[in-house]
Amino acid sequence: MNESTFRRRDFFARMSDGMFGAAFAHLLCQDFFGGTSAFAEQPVGGPEAHSGPAKPFNLTPKPTHHPATAKSVIQLFMNGGPSQMDLFDPKPVLNGMDGKPYPGNVEEIGNTGTAGIGVMMGGKYKFARHGESGMWMADVLPHTAKMADDLCLINSLWTDHPNHDNALYKIHSGRLFMGYPTLGAWTVYGLGSENQNLPAYVVLNDPLGLPKNGTRNWTSGFLPPVFQGTPFRPTGSPILNLKPQYEQPSEVTESARGLLRQLDEIHRVRRPYHPELDARIQSYSLAARMQLSAGEALDIGKETRETLSLYGVGEPETDSFGRRCLLARRLVERGVRFVQIFLEEQPWDSHVDLEDNHRAACRRTDKPVAGLLRDLKRTGLLDSTLVIWGGEFGRTPTSQRAGDVYTGRDHNMQAFSSWIAGGGARGGTTYGKTDEFGHKVVEDPVSVHDFHATLLHLLGLHHQKLFFTRSGLEERLTGVEPPRVVTEILS
Amino acid sequence: MTDRLVVLILCLTLGGAATTCGDQPQSTGKPSPTFEADIQPLFAQRCGKCHSQRVRKAGLDLSSMAGIHHGGESGESLVADSVEDSMLWWLIDEGEMPPPDEPALTTEQRELIRDWIAAGVPSDHAHPMSAESLNQHDVLPMLLLRCTTCHGPRRRDGGLDLRSRAAMLQGGDSGPALFPGDPDGSLMIQRIEQELCPPSDLLLKFFVRRPPTSEVQTLKDWISAGAPVEDIAPDVATEQPDLLVVDADRQHWAFQPPTDPATGASIDDFVGDRLRAAGLSFSPEASRETLIRRVYLDLIGMPPRPEQLRHWQTCGDENWYSSMVDQLLASPHYGERWGRYWLDLAGYADSEGGISADPIRPVAWKYRDYVIQSFNEDKPYDRFLLEQIAGDELVDYQNADVVTDQMVENLVATGFLRMGIDETGSRTMNFVPERLKVISDAITVVSSGLMGLTMECARCHSHKYDPIPHRDYYRFKAIFQGALDEHDWDSFKTRTLDLATPEHRRRIKRVNPPLKSELKKLQSTQDKATRQLRLELLRHHYPDQPEDDHQATLAALRVADNNRTLKQKRLVERLQQAELEPDAEQPAVVQATRDQIAALQREIDLVRRRMVPEPTIRALWDLGRPSPTYVLRGGEHNKPGDLVGPGVPSVLTDGKTPFQVTPPFPDGTPKTGRRLAFANWLTDPTHPLTARVMVNRIWYHHFGTGLVKDLENFGLQGEPPSHPELLDWLAIEFVRRGWSVKEMHRLILNSRTFRQRSETTQRQQRIDPQNRLLSRMPLRRMDAETLRDSLLAVAGRLDFAAGGLPDTIQVDRDGLVSVNPTEGGGFRRSVYLQYRRTQIPTMMDTFDYPQMGPNCIARTVSIVSPQSLMLMNNEDVRELAEDFAARVQLLAGGDDSATAAAIVDAAYRIALSRRPSRDELSLSTEALRQLRSDWKGDSQKALETYCHALLNSAAFLYID
Repeated sequence: MNESTFRRRDFFARMSDGMFGAAFAHLLCQDFFGGTSAFAEQPVGGPEAHSGPAKPFNLTPKPTHHPATAKSVIQLFMNGGPSQMDLFDPKPVLNGMDGKPYPGNVEEIGNTGTAGIGVMMGGKYKFARHGESGMWMADVLPHTAKMADDLCLINSLWTDHPNHDNALYKIHSGRLFMGYPTLGAWTVYGLGSENQNLPAYVVLNDPLGLPKNGTRNWTSGFLPPVFQGTPFRPTGSPILNLKPQYEQPSEVTESARGLLRQLDEIHRVRRPYHPELDARIQSYSLAARMQLSAGEALDIGKETRETLSLYGVGEPETDSFGRRCLLARRLVERGVRFVQIFLEEQPWDSHVDLEDNHRAACRRTDKPVAGLLRDLKRTGLLDSTLVIWGGEFGRTPTSQRAGDVYTGRDHNMQAFSSWIAGGGARGGTTYGKTDEFGHKVVEDPVSVHDFHATLLHLLGLHHQKLFFTRSGLEERLTGVEPPRVVTEILS
Repeated sequence: MTDRLVVLILCLTLGGAATTCGDQPQSTGKPSPTFEADIQPLFAQRCGKCHSQRVRKAGLDLSSMAGIHHGGESGESLVADSVEDSMLWWLIDEGEMPPPDEPALTTEQRELIRDWIAAGVPSDHAHPMSAESLNQHDVLPMLLLRCTTCHGPRRRDGGLDLRSRAAMLQGGDSGPALFPGDPDGSLMIQRIEQELCPPSDLLLKFFVRRPPTSEVQTLKDWISAGAPVEDIAPDVATEQPDLLVVDADRQHWAFQPPTDPATGASIDDFVGDRLRAAGLSFSPEASRETLIRRVYLDLIGMPPRPEQLRHWQTCGDENWYSSMVDQLLASPHYGERWGRYWLDLAGYADSEGGISADPIRPVAWKYRDYVIQSFNEDKPYDRFLLEQIAGDELVDYQNADVVTDQMVENLVATGFLRMGIDETGSRTMNFVPERLKVISDAITVVSSGLMGLTMECARCHSHKYDPIPHRDYYRFKAIFQGALDEHDWDSFKTRTLDLATPEHRRRIKRVNPPLKSELKKLQSTQDKATRQLRLELLRHHYPDQPEDDHQATLAALRVADNNRTLKQKRLVERLQQAELEPDAEQPAVVQATRDQIAALQREIDLVRRRMVPEPTIRALWDLGRPSPTYVLRGGEHNKPGDLVGPGVPSVLTDGKTPFQVTPPFPDGTPKTGRRLAFANWLTDPTHPLTARVMVNRIWYHHFGTGLVKDLENFGLQGEPPSHPELLDWLAIEFVRRGWSVKEMHRLILNSRTFRQRSETTQRQQRIDPQNRLLSRMPLRRMDAETLRDSLLAVAGRLDFAAGGLPDTIQVDRDGLVSVNPTEGGGFRRSVYLQYRRTQIPTMMDTFDYPQMGPNCIARTVSIVSPQSLMLMNNEDVRELAEDFAARVQLLAGGDDSATAAAIVDAAYRIALSRRPSRDELSLSTEALRQLRSDWKGDSQKALETYCHALLNSAAFLYID
């Protein structure tokens, strides 16, 4: 080869001079980064195809089953199981019994055998009523407390398993076992995405590491992988392989892309009626657009100092969680449908030193969470954004032995608290009641299926109409038995 | 007729009155509807076809009050205290019943029923609820759930066995467990009521829960009645006509044996006829190069090497094509490709799943190798199934003088039934419901994979669409009860066998001891280095932190994270932060220790691979003492119904049990022989499903669509076959040719149908848009394995070593899972990677490697941008592109003097198994020149970039 005197313009000009047909020129005329969305065209083939090549599943916006009040979701996942009687559901009787034996059958407590069950443990913090609604909250959540009138607190959730693994599967996918799609996957399967340049379902992990159960917290299960959560990496390039992991001058990248596009075009022109080839070419342009969009979405440099401090960005304890909350707002602002925020492992799982451990977990999250709510509210986004705060189960009214000490609480599947806000949730509501110890639900129980059905309802999806046929079975997030949409907590 | 009319008119009047007065019509003083006068005739007329005393669809009899209170399969009474809670009303109100194909109830009829329920289901006769007499089967299920773990097959605590009345009477060290007629004087009641049994501290250890009072009451009632025992034979299909499945149900095409069609004698006859009828004809044959690439990727999952390509391109033999097919079928790589499909069906995984620890299955790979070897040997499919379903019942290995290879193979094969997700190894997840889930997964694998039936629904209720009653599911479950017994469960520790030939044992003894001690040494060195690394990190990043705290951090790491004190949590967090600092911020000593640890890990892995595999086999075997199998109403483990015996879905038989179960070794090891009987039935040449399902699967893997579209649904809801005669003909040929899978490949690959071009014409698109008529070959994307293996082959980086321990992977902090290279720096074929459920290699995952839940019958194909990003930007792929470029250089002439045309030609031959077209050649030479200019004259870099683009191209990823 001679040393080339070619200029880029010549290169592209030569390639589009008609030698490869009209379709070719058309492709080159398209704005590479602007063009049509990657999944805008529904490929031919019909959505019923279950086997065979090229699945037509995509992320184009889909019609809702009924008018929605929420367009997007931010799930603040509190891994490990926050203690309801210490944070949201005050139990004066329990305080009075501190140090006394559990009056009922100890076999109904905990999940680690009866030998380790200690005595009743009073609430660790001071409670007060907040807002016009007078919602109870402990003094370790001073910032969230100020948003009480926007929260819809459910104190009567219950689940089916006292183990983290299974309870996590349950709260995310409605089933106790691995391999089922999560709420986020069902949501984007049902609704598609408003932004084709960013993933529809984004996961923001703690830089310190993955949560318990790892990637299974955002799996698409048996749904096509296009519906699974995309973790944005907390450090470096946000999406796996988003930027080349090797050194290459940008003009090389550009020429290589041009070459690939043209090779594919030659391939495609000779193979008409194969929509999957179009989709593939588009997936390459989406990949390119994503580089720009993701970078822009994740750049918090243009946020004001006031906004940053609202979220606690820059303060050592809240910086990490605050950044993720702020990113979540930026993502839903850009049409991302579902954002999940996780903490590393399970900071709420306080078998030991509950008082200190919960206080620390609150310090990490309270201000950023309240900042997010306030920011969403002032930008008007809270009207269409559903915020979910909660974990996979609650904690027992008794202390539990760990080593030689009794300073924490065990897992409790029979009652736990969660709150939702925005997106059509009725602010200032406290729903459901537990017994005098906070151990069991006694009024208005909300199963995980009920909870999911209610969240889907806010998103304009009907739990029964949202299904996927697999091996002749209609699979649903909410299972076989019809759940109940908790209409009392909707505005 | 007149009578009924009168009744109806009466109902209408009553109904009207009821609506005006709310839900309590009796308060008006008017008579409420009664069962005998109003409801019974109505039910007889509108529901009696399916829910009579004789025919009890879904277990339900609506002809009597007793039947209504008894309810159906769900185990719940049909009526309750209020209308809202009444299942009967719910089913009617939701429009579930009568079923959609029957006329709906009139408003008047609905209101009549509603009023009757609201009035408290009045009946002329008091309902004789308590008159039912109890027998041992009313208490055995509870004893199995609560007691026999300690007083049963495995343990006889206190010398007591509670599995039969006789054993209870005989009692244990403290005397008889019961005195007939005297519940309060019976030891077992005393111990249960005082909560001494089950003992509080053993509940979790033995995975039992205390019986609710209702169960204890039943037990007391039974003892009061004298602990009567009735001789009840398990319900199996008999000579009696089956009322739940009728002959009309059996007429469905897939439930009838295949019939030899008269119309054709080859694939092309059947396909050609249909094409002609639609006004189409076969597409022209694809080019020779296209066929070569197609058949290579199809049969061995890798493209031909350039010299192989040249050989077939230039082969003058007119039978070159069938010779190529034969040669590839004989290649050991064939089994690696086609065995993988079977591993999907079986739900193969190298870990248990279920719990977050996701424990590794250290010897699952033996089953993987068994499958690959079986495909390579072309083991007859009937034998292949026999070994996997009942390998333990074929030869009495427990009484054998010498263990043979065949015995080992049989036992390894039974791993098939142990592939599902299994969390019962967990400290807290080994209760009966979890065990039932494992059993149900095994049933799903067998029914969906081998029989093309979805039986899952029938676990809880009779199948809604297919004639599979609830009962049939539990008869089917009874087949497996001898080995998968939820009341006699093998733990992770007891479910492996040590079985090896004498030669194998000698080799272990000779080779392993020195390697074991070497391994131990390496591991302890690595542990020390890891400790050292942590201290170095702490000392460097926190110079002010006292040494005591450094040591305390190491101690804290040994505490489970949720049991750490706040101080311990903080210390660990600081260490994590130090570890997260980018490499540039780490001192040289940290980097050096990290390298040392990685090097030790490689050494450890190599030593492991040099060891002779231990004789451990992950197997399933009959224990010869099955617990009774009860129908579980509503699928609930604590709602036992009728006692059933082993059987298969009635609809696949003439209504009788198609086999006789006999213990296979009457004088040897006790085994039930149930799975053996089932396997023999399944592999009978006239079985309606076995051969059809398998040839359809083979067809699917060649053409991307099955003749029956849903591979796992040959039932009434499945789409009928596109070419029914062809399917039957293939099924019959399959059996006739000795169940040879390779013969099926030959038949298919040598057909004109398979050799068509893939280009689609406008006419084809109009008449046959889905290509159900096979008017052309479909264009297909490579699956994950083919893509990765092809990339490695093109780069010359494939390590062809076969079998053995799976190749290890590593996971970075973001969850990226990458594969470690083998000793020689290459990578083995994808089938040999470690597939831990929670750590699927990212490349495989990105290209649709499935979640095994419990298995995967057909993979989905997605087109998503992470795939593009991976192929474009991933450094490993880039490295392969560089290797590929080096091979191109070599093939094109070996130095810089090669012309651009020669280079492009070489690249196309290696990656795409063909020469470039004129357009492609001229585009490529232009691009090479441009890239060289972009790379400031570096032609090697230019070539690497070019090769990288080629690996990204649709021409590479798609198969014509």
